[in-house]
Amino acid sequence: MNETIQRFDCFVENKPGVLARVIGLISGRGYNIQALNVGPTEDGTVSRMRIDVLGNEKVLNQVILQLRNQVNVIEVTGRKRRSAR
Amino acid sequence: MKTIRERTGAVALVEALEKAGTEVLFGYPGGAVIDIFDSLKDAKFRFVLGRHEQGCAHMADGYARSSGKVGVCLVTSGPGATNVVTGLGTAYLDGVPMVMITGQVPLAQIGTDAFQEADMSGISRAVTKHSFLVQSADEIPETVAQAFYIATHGKPGPVVIDIPKNCQQALTKAQYPERVNLRAYHPEYTARPQQIARFAKLLNEAKRPVIYAGGGAIAAFASGDLTALARKAQIPVATTLMGLGAFDQRDPLSLGMAGMHGAPCANYAIDEADLIVAMGVRFSDRVTGKISKYAKKAKIVHIDCNPAEVDKNVTVHLGIVADVRDVIANVNSRVKANEHPEWLARIAQWKQDYPISYQPLHPGVIMPQQAIEAINKVSDGEAIVVTDVGQQQMWAAQYVTHRHPRRFLTSGGMGTMGFGIPAAIGAALARPDLKTIAICGDGGAQMTFEEVVVAVLEKLPITIVVINNGCLGMVRQWQELFYKKNYSHTILKEKGLPYLPDFVKLAKAHGAAAYRVIDPAKLESTMKKAINAKRTTLVEVIVDPDANVYPMIPGGKSVKEMIFK
Ligand SMILES: Cc1ncc(C[n+]2csc(CCOP(=O)(O)OP(=O)(O)O)c2C)c(N)n1
Ligand SMILES: [Mg+2]
Repeated sequence: MNETIQRFDCFVENKPGVLARVIGLISGRGYNIQALNVGPTEDGTVSRMRIDVLGNEKVLNQVILQLRNQVNVIEVTGRKRRSAR
Repeated sequence: MKTIRERTGAVALVEALEKAGTEVLFGYPGGAVIDIFDSLKDAKFRFVLGRHEQGCAHMADGYARSSGKVGVCLVTSGPGATNVVTGLGTAYLDGVPMVMITGQVPLAQIGTDAFQEADMSGISRAVTKHSFLVQSADEIPETVAQAFYIATHGKPGPVVIDIPKNCQQALTKAQYPERVNLRAYHPEYTARPQQIARFAKLLNEAKRPVIYAGGGAIAAFASGDLTALARKAQIPVATTLMGLGAFDQRDPLSLGMAGMHGAPCANYAIDEADLIVAMGVRFSDRVTGKISKYAKKAKIVHIDCNPAEVDKNVTVHLGIVADVRDVIANVNSRVKANEHPEWLARIAQWKQDYPISYQPLHPGVIMPQQAIEAINKVSDGEAIVVTDVGQQQMWAAQYVTHRHPRRFLTSGGMGTMGFGIPAAIGAALARPDLKTIAICGDGGAQMTFEEVVVAVLEKLPITIVVINNGCLGMVRQWQELFYKKNYSHTILKEKGLPYLPDFVKLAKAHGAAAYRVIDPAKLESTMKKAINAKRTTLVEVIVDPDANVYPMIPGGKSVKEMIFK
């Protein structure tokens, strides 16, 4: 399988339960999260989640669309970081 | 200025549900919702007490599917909440709008493994569009408004509101909002004019077009526009299982259902088409079979309200993320009236050469397909038909004449056994003007049979038909075809013993009228009597246990590998 590390920058409403929903969508597919960083933005009501995941690129692109469908997710951007060895 | 009345969170909840348009609330009480139940006495909506929370959830689901409104359900914390998980998943996969209110232990006790505590927002995450854990009574009215909004906007689906007991008891002045304002959720998309223009051009140029409509077309109330488009441009229409009813099957342009157990002409037409107009479908593996061989000759236009659907399973030529009805209505005005005589003649030939059909296997034994035909004859394509899951579901899909949207209710995505009886109760409450018929297998009927009492007590004249083949037929069929007839634990009727339970006695014990049919000659007259009865009636039809669902494209195979018997 053609797996790459993909980085998502996910801007979400700073509310309880949001982190769990976002992570659940990724881990529920059996993907392992390699790195996760969550912090506030200048706008205190918005958090940024930076997530690195190893997985199939097409599937991860689909995950972005599904993340955007989430009620508390404001925007998601994703890009390929590097190919897995 | 009007003074704002202070009342408990529980009363505020009931008020909010009324404001949101609730007509029927399905539910089951318990300690964590006793305050809400206490407030129901003044409610303007009807309350229906189920007998198991799973049943309550499917009732709300059946209500929603048949009416297009939100199904609303209220259950207690812990086991009440975990019992609705299957109902949520069923609604989630089929895009059914539902608001599920669950009680929760008081906020101060959350996380302590308190009595009847379950992390419902956690448990429900994978089977809901969204879940709310209410933090104070003040949040209740607005949360209800938001939940109804989320359930109905974008692809519809279930939403959980988990309300701790102390929030139900606390006082609040909070009012139901005039407008819902969700900062990050704006699922309304519109087609760009260039997309509509390209779509119209593709339609005008196509020689062998097929419309392929799914549950999303029904959810978007697009049947009328779809029909207008099909007739104007003379495009044949296939549907998915979930799309049955989106297009009148008495129309000569109807191809019937596509997919694993679909009509050969629908599958052949998709295989030969040069243009597939897919609306509100997911291209599920049950429909496409082997994806690399799917619709190879066609350009695919995919219209869906959900951006995550387009290009998910098949790569499309033109993807339009927008409301299905808007797009079709829009393109209708740009499409030329057309005829495709050669294409339609070819389709007519397929219909003639490969009808969906069956042969009796043993003389004097009722074939299950015959039972569905008898139901169809009496109901004449007008009744709401609700199915359970398994062979009987596929026979109902194949042998009922589907004429109207929201009258064939089936658990397509999840395939939940036990859906039929409670969903029929919900449908009958939503549409008292129509007859409602539940078609169940002997296996599935046993999963939620307790709800028959509810139909009786609510005086619902529904008909429950149990297609009794003495086995878990659909699994048995796979074992016959793909597992060398090793019928491992799928035969429910023990040889030499009468079938247990006795469905006729069981139905009578639940207060329903009941008949058993064994003789093919009595089939139609019994169905007539049952369907026209003014009370809850069960008909157990003893059918040939060896009957299989055909045609069939085995999982992962292509149209070329369709088997007919
Ligand atoms: C809750 C649930 N458990 C298991 C299954 C798997 N399953 C699918 S069809 C089927 C057999 C159903 O038997 P029955 O209700 O008698 O219907 P039939 O196929 O005989 O018409 C089973 C066990 C399911 N779909 N749902
Ligand atoms: Mg059976």
